Amino acid sequence: MRDIALAALDAATLAGASYADARVVLERSETVSVRTGRVDAIASSESHGLGVRVIADGAWGFSATADLSPDGIRQAAREAVALARAAARTWSAPVRVADAPVVTDQWRGRCEIDPFAVSLGDKLALLLTADEAMRAEPLVTVTAGSIDAFGVDKVFASTEGSVIEQSYTEVGAGIVAYAITDGEVHPRSYPNSHGGQTVQAGWEAVLALDLAGNAPRIAEQAAALTRAMPCPSTTTTVILDGSQVALQVHESIGHPTELDRVLGDEAAFAGTSWVRAADLNALTYGSEHLNVVADATTPGSIGSFGYDDEGVPAQRFDIVRRGVLTGFLSSRESAAAIGRSSTGCARASEWNRIPLVRMTTVSLEPGIWDFDDLVADTDEGIYMETNSSWSIDDKRLNFQFACEIGWEIKGGKLGRMIKNPNYTGITPAFWGSLDAVCSPKHWQVWGVPNCGKGEPMQVAHVAHGAAPARFRNVQVGVAR
Amino acid sequence: MRPHEIAAGIAEQTLALAQGDEVEVLATVERSALTRFANNRIHQNVAERSASVSVRVVVGSRQGCASTDRVDAASLARCCERAREAALHAPDDPSFPELPGPADAPTVLERPLPDLDAFDADARAQAAAAIIAQSAERDLTAAGTVSASATGIAVANSRGVHSAATTGAARATVLSMHPSGASGWASWLGADPSGLPAASLGDRAALLSERSVGAEPLEPGEYPVVLAPDAVADLLDFLGYTSFGARAYFERSSFIALHEGEQLFPASLTIVDDARTPETVGLPFDFEGVAKQRVALIDRGVPAGIVTDSYWAAKLDRANTGHALPAPNPWGPMPLNLAIEPGDATIDEMIGSIERGVYVTRFHYVNVEDPAEVLLTGMTRDGTFLIEDGRLTRPLTNARFTQSVVEALTGLQAIGRDRELIGTEEGGACLAPALALASWRFTGQTG
Repeated sequence: MRDIALAALDAATLAGASYADARVVLERSETVSVRTGRVDAIASSESHGLGVRVIADGAWGFSATADLSPDGIRQAAREAVALARAAARTWSAPVRVADAPVVTDQWRGRCEIDPFAVSLGDKLALLLTADEAMRAEPLVTVTAGSIDAFGVDKVFASTEGSVIEQSYTEVGAGIVAYAITDGEVHPRSYPNSHGGQTVQAGWEAVLALDLAGNAPRIAEQAAALTRAMPCPSTTTTVILDGSQVALQVHESIGHPTELDRVLGDEAAFAGTSWVRAADLNALTYGSEHLNVVADATTPGSIGSFGYDDEGVPAQRFDIVRRGVLTGFLSSRESAAAIGRSSTGCARASEWNRIPLVRMTTVSLEPGIWDFDDLVADTDEGIYMETNSSWSIDDKRLNFQFACEIGWEIKGGKLGRMIKNPNYTGITPAFWGSLDAVCSPKHWQVWGVPNCGKGEPMQVAHVAHGAAPARFRNVQVGVAR
Repeated sequence: MRPHEIAAGIAEQTLALAQGDEVEVLATVERSALTRFANNRIHQNVAERSASVSVRVVVGSRQGCASTDRVDAASLARCCERAREAALHAPDDPSFPELPGPADAPTVLERPLPDLDAFDADARAQAAAAIIAQSAERDLTAAGTVSASATGIAVANSRGVHSAATTGAARATVLSMHPSGASGWASWLGADPSGLPAASLGDRAALLSERSVGAEPLEPGEYPVVLAPDAVADLLDFLGYTSFGARAYFERSSFIALHEGEQLFPASLTIVDDARTPETVGLPFDFEGVAKQRVALIDRGVPAGIVTDSYWAAKLDRANTGHALPAPNPWGPMPLNLAIEPGDATIDEMIGSIERGVYVTRFHYVNVEDPAEVLLTGMTRDGTFLIEDGRLTRPLTNARFTQSVVEALTGLQAIGRDRELIGTEEGGACLAPALALASWRFTGQTG
């Protein structure tokens, strides 16, 4: 793989590139999924290819190929240069990138038990046991579960002299019970919705989830949701569980602080941002309880790595400190545009995609509250768990989220179950209403392996550390 | 060789390598390029050549799948072996019928193909420049894409299916932004990039942007609406995803299952899936190689049909409509070429019929809150206007909606006579007219 990358650099330089980097990526994945007692999929995939990115005539070009023969490598490199020269037609100024260290290194993510070495039979048995346990609940008519394994080996090389080899393994698993009655669909998931929990680790992380042990509980809750009270339409105090706080951070803090969005490069598709470059160290993003950190060195997170896809080392830095905007997620180009150094967030989803500014592990730092104490401290409100729907506007201001389940809070205690809870708000007002975050005991990193951005679409793996948190004066029960 | 001929060669080579009671091979050969612009200049110019192969092996009633994008003989053989190993680990599935046979499959089919050699990086840059100029000359900022792809797809199986086709499309999008924050949008999709009206596309977006200056918030509430084709396409996409597939029907999470045969909507509403009409782009067969059928999903206002693949057709004792996604497919069959049958109204007539309402150019970040009633939430974007006394008056800031599409379509007032071809998130394309609806629930605003 190293030789392929270096050959691509040589070909790009010969074709006239003033800068080039090459990534050779080998990916493997394996999926096992079941649905209502039947195996839905047993599948594996393998992908191997080269992406060459160049600057020529002051503009970017990128070409990708799975043809790793000498001819295929040369053709990709030449095409990247031709694309750059065509792009230069509309340039008013040449590309500028922030400096990056020249690095020769290897990095490997931690993994105790290789998930690809675990037999398909063992994986199926685990899922089918959990599936059967959910179907013991008569009102649960549809059940599903999945286990995914993902492995990456990649080499990055640049004409500046960096050669970096990285490899890591990820696993994801989850189950969901659906109670479907009278035109209502009530899902209940464990440990999270949208495929469960995904971490950078090995099979040991799947075993630790105890899917079968949690199956009866979520099946019972799905059934109970069919009899639960609707979410009232009102403005009240809301406590969100850690997984929902993670998604709230993702949508309303992570995406708006991607510097390429701030600068307008994502405008037509994913949108821009309510945050401006000039807001750094000045904008009040939320309350004094809001402390957000990006940390690509977080162990076990799918937002972690040794180096980003521009060869910039993984970093930990503040995005919001005591409610004030203090940092951006950036690449070498976007950082240069505001006269700063890259924060190491340029990532490509596959070999055939160009690096974009992506989240790493963007986390709400824990507070001091025990969860039970936080509920006891709340006279009236709603506690919501597990995301079921998300939507936010093109400036990342107006959002609406729905959760799978809720409970009313009365007199400091959790009361009746609530079905279809949802809430809406405006980003700075919502984070301004944050008045409590639970302690490190309740904090964990949640993987988000389906973060979409860019054209052509790139689905990135990112993550967020979060604990349950309380927000005041939130509009809930929208249009139900 | 044309792309489908290359794909068919890979498929046949792989089929010969695989061992099982039944074997299916899906081979794809793609060439694509995308020129992206923002801040009135090209900032991303990418191209890709790729091939991939998926193998489904059946042993008894057990299935396993594997895929690779390495198409040398050794890699293909390894892929086949991985699929067979997966099948051997699977439990028996008594519901599995058998793979489709040749009677269901079309022969080689070819659609008009974009000439990617002619629509090269220079041609795309010229198109982008023509789009950008419309904004730049008016002190507006343009962002968008100009792209094209050509894809050869072949499906071959051990029961005698040998389907192959080449398909492709060119696409352009443009967002034009005014310094005040106002914006306008336009998009184009077609089989032939020489038909791309770059300057007029840029002009449409720029005019909409200028017209959106001075927007005011919309008070939340229920309003009559006119939805432009881009907005309607979003609704069609979510109807297809949540409601028109056999799996949702079987599991009774689809409104089709709950209201089949009822006169649920006005008789003017007919929604079909039709991949073979010349008006659309896409494959004429599904990913099992079965010819796609035209399916009436809503027939003159009555929920009437669902799309199936071989598994769900057998399970429900219905005909196979040819709507399989690539195996393994945990989502079930899906319509990728939805169309609303045209009506007889112009957009001006629709607007003219509304005393006080809202015109929506397109939606942003729509998502499902409840699949059974297709309860969606999302925002308006890039051109939202108040309708007063039958004409567009004030521009509006973006507004959030929370609305059941099923409920909204019961109040269908008029259907546009002109339809636009619009690409969807699911990878398909739909034929969408504008719609006038009696009521749409706006539940919030930005700022």
